[in-house]
Amino acid sequence: MADLQKLYDAILDGDAKTSAAVIHEALAEGADPVSLISGYMVPAMDEVGRRYEAEEYFVPELLLAARAMKAALEPLRPLLAASGAQPAGRVVIGTVKGDLHDIGKNLVASMLEGGGFEVMDLGADVSPEKFIDAVRASGANIVCLSALLTVTMPSMKKTIEALDAAGVRQQVKVFVGGAPVTEQYAREIGADGYSETASGAVALARRIGN
Amino acid sequence: MAREFFLRLAAERHRAIVGTDLVLNQHAAAEDVRRDGAGLGRVVAESAARWKTPLAIPLMDLRLEKADLLAAYGMDEEEADRFHFEAGPAEAVYPEGAFPERQRAQIEAISWVATNTDLLPMGMVIGPFSLMTKLLADPITPLALALSGVAAEDDAGVAAVERCCRLSEAAVLRSVKAQIEAGARAIIVCEPAANVVFLSPRQLAKRPGAFARFVLEPNLRVRSAMDAAGVDLVFHDCGHLDDSMVRAFGEVVHPAMLSLGSSRTLWQDARLVPRDVVLFGNLPTRMFYSDADMPRELVARQTRELAARMADTGHPHILGSECDVLHVDGASETIISKVDILLCEDRA
Repeated sequence: MADLQKLYDAILDGDAKTSAAVIHEALAEGADPVSLISGYMVPAMDEVGRRYEAEEYFVPELLLAARAMKAALEPLRPLLAASGAQPAGRVVIGTVKGDLHDIGKNLVASMLEGGGFEVMDLGADVSPEKFIDAVRASGANIVCLSALLTVTMPSMKKTIEALDAAGVRQQVKVFVGGAPVTEQYAREIGADGYSETASGAVALARRIGN
Repeated sequence: MAREFFLRLAAERHRAIVGTDLVLNQHAAAEDVRRDGAGLGRVVAESAARWKTPLAIPLMDLRLEKADLLAAYGMDEEEADRFHFEAGPAEAVYPEGAFPERQRAQIEAISWVATNTDLLPMGMVIGPFSLMTKLLADPITPLALALSGVAAEDDAGVAAVERCCRLSEAAVLRSVKAQIEAGARAIIVCEPAANVVFLSPRQLAKRPGAFARFVLEPNLRVRSAMDAAGVDLVFHDCGHLDDSMVRAFGEVVHPAMLSLGSSRTLWQDARLVPRDVVLFGNLPTRMFYSDADMPRELVARQTRELAARMADTGHPHILGSECDVLHVDGASETIISKVDILLCEDRA
């Protein structure tokens, strides 16, 4: 029998080789993909998030854990698609127009994926039009906007206005984040939520994303 | 030597900001000026006059060395901004020949300041570690693998990090040498990525040599090039740092001046830094655009507190910005009014 505690530990330790190996072993033994995700993988990522909040883990540990999570998810994806299992939500994420920074955005994307969300990552320097197209194409219910620079924060407002003008604002919740962004600013530009941290973004998406 | 000059300014309770961008953006043709050496030199001098400092602090543009490096791979400046090596360059191509337009203007601006003003001509480069992080789409994961003991031979990502480190250092040294030749008497090396986001303290505690290998040693080689020309180092890192990083920057890199971001409590850091290293900073100028988060009264209060607390430590200190005070569309007047508070509040 596959030792599934090892799967949990491998994600916690950022050990992608072990997490993938345990998944393959478990699938060969007929384990249920959804149970593997909900019973071990999502709880492991939640614990990673908790340790990050407690400053026991830092961004590199977060990314290594996300990498281990991804390695474990890879063989499960076709099985999940075949079974018709739904993700926790569909997210379109990107760094707004004019801003090339993507570390924070990558972190949020990884943590959301680890939290069971389907994530369409548009990258950095994303125009409002690209966000609109992605929402329409993916049927997303969440849009995450990131900016690192004070000079590019106004692009968040422009993107929200563009979503509104394109008639897709009502079908999505818009979350914003990034070093200079504040709760107050999020409210001012009409965002639905703000998070200071990547794990906070997952909690936000679970709480008000759907 | 600029070190004595900085120490004297600190003794005089001088204040300064990295604020050339704010002044540049008051000009209608700001984008053209970025590519015009003499024009940019004049703006640097105008900025020094506006902020009442004898320091000719250049425009902070940390894209320049990346553009220069990628020009060697046939990319133009616009492309370079957006480009990342997916797995590291297959072949190391070092920059040589003419500099790209914006960087050439920065270098010529130093020369213009050195020739036409009595200001202290200062240069600026991105640090080698931070440049490396800009070359890779995801530098953190392979760096974390390297810090966990994975060798370059065993992982393409780790190999890419190591190759990009070498390329970055070469590009930074080339820029430093050109700025020295242009007349810089102090150069600000900006290493904002050398922080706990890119380098986990948990991993560094297990492998203490890793911080030296990836951050300190490349910067010491850059400092050696400056030392050889009698040019002083100003080391800037506005990233989120832990105490061991601040101590290493002060003691090992040992710059003439150390500039830190507002995540640090400067009067506590004074005990970590040798007394001949002037501390610079560190009011949260990035938030000056927002009256809700940083009202004028708060700027005044924080200015008074920082000045008083640093005076209590007796550590040489130039009160200033935490980083470049960037122009923000629609918020220039707000920002400038707060900069004026920073520079003038509670001055005898």
